[in-house]
Amino acid sequence: MYLVADINVEICAAKSCKLCTQYCPEANTIQYSEEMGKDKGFKYGSAYVAVDRCKGCAQCVWVCDNMAKNNAIKMIMIDQLPLAAITDNITYGDKSTTAVLVSPSV
Amino acid sequence: MSLDYVKFTNGFEKFMPKEYRDMVEHGPFGKKVSVSQMGSFKEILEEHPMCAGCAMTLFIRLAMIAVPNPEDTIMVGTAGCGRLAISQAAIPFVYGNYGDQNGVASGLSRGLRLRFGDKPKDVVVMAGDGGTADIGFQQVLHSWFRKERFTTIMLDNEVYGNTGGQESGMTSRGAVLKMAPLGKKFEKMDMLQMAKVAGCAYVATVVPNNPRRVESVIKKAVLIAREVGSAYIQAYTSCNIEYAIPTDKVMEDAKNVENDRYQFTEYVSEEAKQYLAERYGYKEFLPKPAAPAAAIPNKA
Repeated sequence: MYLVADINVEICAAKSCKLCTQYCPEANTIQYSEEMGKDKGFKYGSAYVAVDRCKGCAQCVWVCDNMAKNNAIKMIMIDQLPLAAITDNITYGDKSTTAVLVSPSV
Repeated sequence: MSLDYVKFTNGFEKFMPKEYRDMVEHGPFGKKVSVSQMGSFKEILEEHPMCAGCAMTLFIRLAMIAVPNPEDTIMVGTAGCGRLAISQAAIPFVYGNYGDQNGVASGLSRGLRLRFGDKPKDVVVMAGDGGTADIGFQQVLHSWFRKERFTTIMLDNEVYGNTGGQESGMTSRGAVLKMAPLGKKFEKMDMLQMAKVAGCAYVATVVPNNPRRVESVIKKAVLIAREVGSAYIQAYTSCNIEYAIPTDKVMEDAKNVENDRYQFTEYVSEEAKQYLAERYGYKEFLPKPAAPAAAIPNKA
């Protein structure tokens, strides 16, 4: 078992600062989706984590808590994530990406 | 070295892995991308074996996005942590022997100019503080004195992180490390001053806790190195293992170090300023119009 980042869509889609996408040391790990927030009736899209690439460093948590002051990201055990994005299920659009959420393989 | 190498061979598209297909279809090649679009396009950097939370990785990731023409860029590196990530990218990577990266880059840059003429082909050296300031010092300085036209980026983690924590020339005075238990007795080398003395056209320091600044600094350096002369960027990229920084405090450390000894500084030579303003429209380097005489209050 290990920790991965999990982004609260309700908080993220209300602010949509995109800071965590710029501060993650792993490439293509924190992605941004317009649909994830707008489908739930929010103004903006939301960031989400490709959990198969997340190394669990929690830099995004510090950035979200202290720079953006949104407190939207928490580290949780991967087997306690109900649904998550994995790299194979991400498609790229012109302005954002879309992920089909699945239960993460542990 | 062109858009031709980022496409599918006929008939092989469906056999290629998803990462490759994403790179061809949604990568940054032939487009202009910026850090504000991160998370919505396929990045040049792929999965890599660097430690979790490494600030050097973040810097390399930003640098790969910032290079103005990734399809016309070659990275040169040497032994050190950085090459573990730089080699896992869709940009050709040349691995020199320890310390000869600037010599390799000099030859490469001259050869590309002979072969391709005016078509810009960028050579970017990314090496650690050991490769640049200690073991490769002689070749680095000579390439600057010869005004070789390529960019040198130092990934300054202030320690030999790959081999257990020995002090390097760039370690700060007094720093206690695993393989330097009595603390370093000498001052940190002033590579910025040396770069200016050696005649670099662009010299800057940067810390990766400001992604937009990293992007702008690298763009300027690569553009200047195309025609004007050598460019040097010194980036603070902490080693969270050897300096025992908790991974979630890496950006806090970067902020503290930026305030302490790594303030943003930028030196642009007059020739480079004129080149950036005329060729690429950098407004901040346009000559300022002289104040009209009437605007000066006459107190006499």
